[in-house]
Amino acid sequence: MRRGLIILALTLSLIVFSLTSAQATKITIWCSEKQVDILQRLGEEFKAKYGVAVEVQYVEFGSIKPNFLTAAPQGKGADIIVGAHDWVGELVVNGLLEPIPEFKDIKQFYETSLKAFSYGGKLYGLPYAMEAIALIYNKDYVKTPPLTMESLITTAKRINTAYKGKVKGFVTSAAEFYYVAPVIFGYGGYVFKDTPAGLDVSDIGLANPGAVKGVKLWKRLVDEGLLSPGDNYQIMDSLFKEGKAAMIINGPWAVKAYKDAGVNYGVSVIPNLEAKVPAKPFVGVQGFMVNSKSPNKVLVREFLISFISTKDTMYKIYLADPRIPSRKDVLALVKDNPDIVGFTKSASNGIPMPNVPEMAAVWGAMNDALNLVVNGKATPEDALNNAVKTIKAQIKK
Amino acid sequence: MIKVLKIFLLFLLALFNAIFLLFGIYLIRNAYYEIGIVLLSALILIDFFIFNPKAYPYRYTIPALIFLFLLVLYPIYFTIKTAFTNFGTGHIFTKEEAIERLLYDPNYTYILEEKPIKFKIFSVFKDQQPTDDFLIIFEIDKKYYVGGVPLPSKQRGREILLREERLVKIEDKNFKLNGRFFEISPYPFNLSNIDLISTSDKVYKSLYMLEDPELEKNLSFFTLIIQKYLIQTEYIEGETGKILGVKVDNDGRWKFFFIDRLYRLSYEDIREDGKIKTKLVIVNTKTKKPIIEEKGSFFDQDEKGNKIFLIGYTAFIGFENFSRILTDEQISGPFFRVFLWTVLWSLFTVLFSFSVGLSFALILNNKKLKFRNIYRTLLIIPWAIPYFISVLTWRNGIFNETYGILNKIILPFLGIEPIKWFNDPFWAKVICLTVNTWLTFPYMMTVSLGALQGIPDELYEVAAIDGAGKWNRFWYITFPLLLTVVAPLLISSFAYTFNNFTLIYLLTAGGPPMVGATTPAGHTDILISYVYKLAFEGRGQEFGFASAIAILIFFLVAGISLINFKLSGAFEEIRGEQ
Repeated sequence: MRRGLIILALTLSLIVFSLTSAQATKITIWCSEKQVDILQRLGEEFKAKYGVAVEVQYVEFGSIKPNFLTAAPQGKGADIIVGAHDWVGELVVNGLLEPIPEFKDIKQFYETSLKAFSYGGKLYGLPYAMEAIALIYNKDYVKTPPLTMESLITTAKRINTAYKGKVKGFVTSAAEFYYVAPVIFGYGGYVFKDTPAGLDVSDIGLANPGAVKGVKLWKRLVDEGLLSPGDNYQIMDSLFKEGKAAMIINGPWAVKAYKDAGVNYGVSVIPNLEAKVPAKPFVGVQGFMVNSKSPNKVLVREFLISFISTKDTMYKIYLADPRIPSRKDVLALVKDNPDIVGFTKSASNGIPMPNVPEMAAVWGAMNDALNLVVNGKATPEDALNNAVKTIKAQIKK
Repeated sequence: MIKVLKIFLLFLLALFNAIFLLFGIYLIRNAYYEIGIVLLSALILIDFFIFNPKAYPYRYTIPALIFLFLLVLYPIYFTIKTAFTNFGTGHIFTKEEAIERLLYDPNYTYILEEKPIKFKIFSVFKDQQPTDDFLIIFEIDKKYYVGGVPLPSKQRGREILLREERLVKIEDKNFKLNGRFFEISPYPFNLSNIDLISTSDKVYKSLYMLEDPELEKNLSFFTLIIQKYLIQTEYIEGETGKILGVKVDNDGRWKFFFIDRLYRLSYEDIREDGKIKTKLVIVNTKTKKPIIEEKGSFFDQDEKGNKIFLIGYTAFIGFENFSRILTDEQISGPFFRVFLWTVLWSLFTVLFSFSVGLSFALILNNKKLKFRNIYRTLLIIPWAIPYFISVLTWRNGIFNETYGILNKIILPFLGIEPIKWFNDPFWAKVICLTVNTWLTFPYMMTVSLGALQGIPDELYEVAAIDGAGKWNRFWYITFPLLLTVVAPLLISSFAYTFNNFTLIYLLTAGGPPMVGATTPAGHTDILISYVYKLAFEGRGQEFGFASAIAILIFFLVAGISLINFKLSGAFEEIRGEQ
């Protein structure tokens, strides 16, 4: 009995102790890239001014969204997450993102990048970088990059014969929608119809005449022996790194590895499909998003607007992680970087990747359709029509 | 010494109690009633077992029981519970939370009059530093109103959802607010020249005013006050009942406006089953239309009557998830084909891996074989290498259609046309079986080796004397005795393979796609990978639906295993031996 009482007393005192130790307010950021340092420094400035600490936590990119989806509904998780704009739809439908109100410098940001982060007419993220795939070529084999598909085909064929298959003229991921999208959109295909009220998910343009024409052009690359149906990302990446591929279509994330591997590479816009018909790649936008259940939303907004959205910070983020800045005056500062120029040209033709949750149904269906087409199992018309049917069935619910 | 140890142990127990108690209370306060109650009852049980001498024996089983509960029973309970809800993308909050968000979230307010209201905020300074104790004066149509620190009026746990404060009109040098008398100096005043408000024991000094550059230095503290109090506050003007709230203006600065809430509770007459009933509903104060509640979601309506999704919550939907599996043709269409392949895949995997494993075991069991340990170690390697590595090696290194060693070197050398491994349904299935056999035969080999060693040598000697050959000895002695031990393992291996999502997902991702299917079904999709595609690669994540299918798959596997057990008589044999 006496022992029981001792336990009871000890238990209670421990509880009181833990309840009285107050929790200090702080802003947490989940971020995966090299901006950790710069955000940490800004956080210290913020603390000096507001007395509220900013804690930057490194979370692997692929884990940020799932972790946030688990933690945020319980009122946990970061106040700010740094991620891709195509998360916005799912997070907003779940009620987990806070809209970002107007701010003074908003006109300094590219319309495409703001649009990418908008959902239902509201802005849900502060963009800092844009990215799109472009033609990356090895200058040892290709002196001037081709500007039309026709010349890409002849150049690639010339290299294929000249090096007797030791070097591939052109290689990219053959049956992946993300890499085939530029030709589909270039001829007028679209995923969901863009309307003033947002994307209309009931209007899918992936089997319209433009999309079919685009996929036929892609099939031609296979038929002419340039692309093999088995070509995938890893193959393209390793061939180019080893100097065994002359031209690839890939994004800015891969460039550093090519530089490190000592490849004499250049970046150029994806060749026009025909004269005056530019290819239109998906544009991905990176940015900062705010947790709608954060207890510090006013301070978080203050941190975003007064500390992160500034030209100075955006430039520093660019230096840490050189991708196309989404702030116009920062892009003007970095025009001397040839990689950025190439990717920017490509992105300027592009369209933002749809950020609606329905997009999840598109990838699988389109990859399957392209797979059937490049393997000659279905005609482009049949495969695309069936893909659209699949997507519609999936998002109908 | 023992006494010190005892006190230390008691202290540990107290710490353990405190942690569990806090955690349990925390869970219950956050509406996780089931697990909270389980945790607290476990705590009481533990204490009872420790302090009651009669319950001593249970001391040692209680940790096992608790873990059984937390890791096995609770997940099962949770899966069953989820299967009857629409939990998933767009439906993650509770209904109360969703309604509270609509009614109290600062985002669901709108500005009534574009013109901002002038204000000035005063605070008690301590050691030159402003504090949270503040007063705020508004100028509305040349008249002045004052408010203090607003009190919470709606709370959820410790979180304050809404604060309300009725403003007091200033008509004299002195005014009374919340039972205290204050004096303004100088008097008469306007917003810019007023600098002191005093009461019996403290003095309020100017903290912030939008138009006053001198006070700009206090902007950061004002921001903190907005965060702490003003963002959830509605100041009510006493005479007209209008609401004042803080909002970010187009220039990005915080200002006060006359606002109204977008959604309010109201009693409305609603036609239901032909009768008119008065019901409490949420109404959009702009359009005056009630918001629609449907299948766990709230929708607003625009002028044309189009529904606009607002927020969803987790709702109980009965057997809808189950009936969807059976009635939705998109899902049930390829279901049979997928199911058939799943059964074949499990059956052949077990068959092949057992035959290969047993063959190696028989060879290794031969005591005349030299370097047995080395062979055994080498043969276990496929089992020891992480899945992710070996599967990727098989996929990209061996079977890749363009660069894999088979299509690039071996087949051309033999003069055979390259095979489209991943795009031909038959070959894709062959790949799945080959790779899984490779991955699982070491397990079967190890198990068989153990079982072989348990067979007494005398039996073989007797059989040899009777003139039985090698084959007969294997067929009539080794195999039946082996099977009694291994059969239950074969059945569990079957059940494991039935649900082996990782392998399929890494190797073929279910491909090649079925031509003409309107669901993302592939020729090598097994039930679980097909379900994964349906539940998580459609429109976000549908946990409710996925749980329903998980339950269904459980019954399938349980049924098949039961039949297997009965047919093989696995358990009876063991019992018979004893």
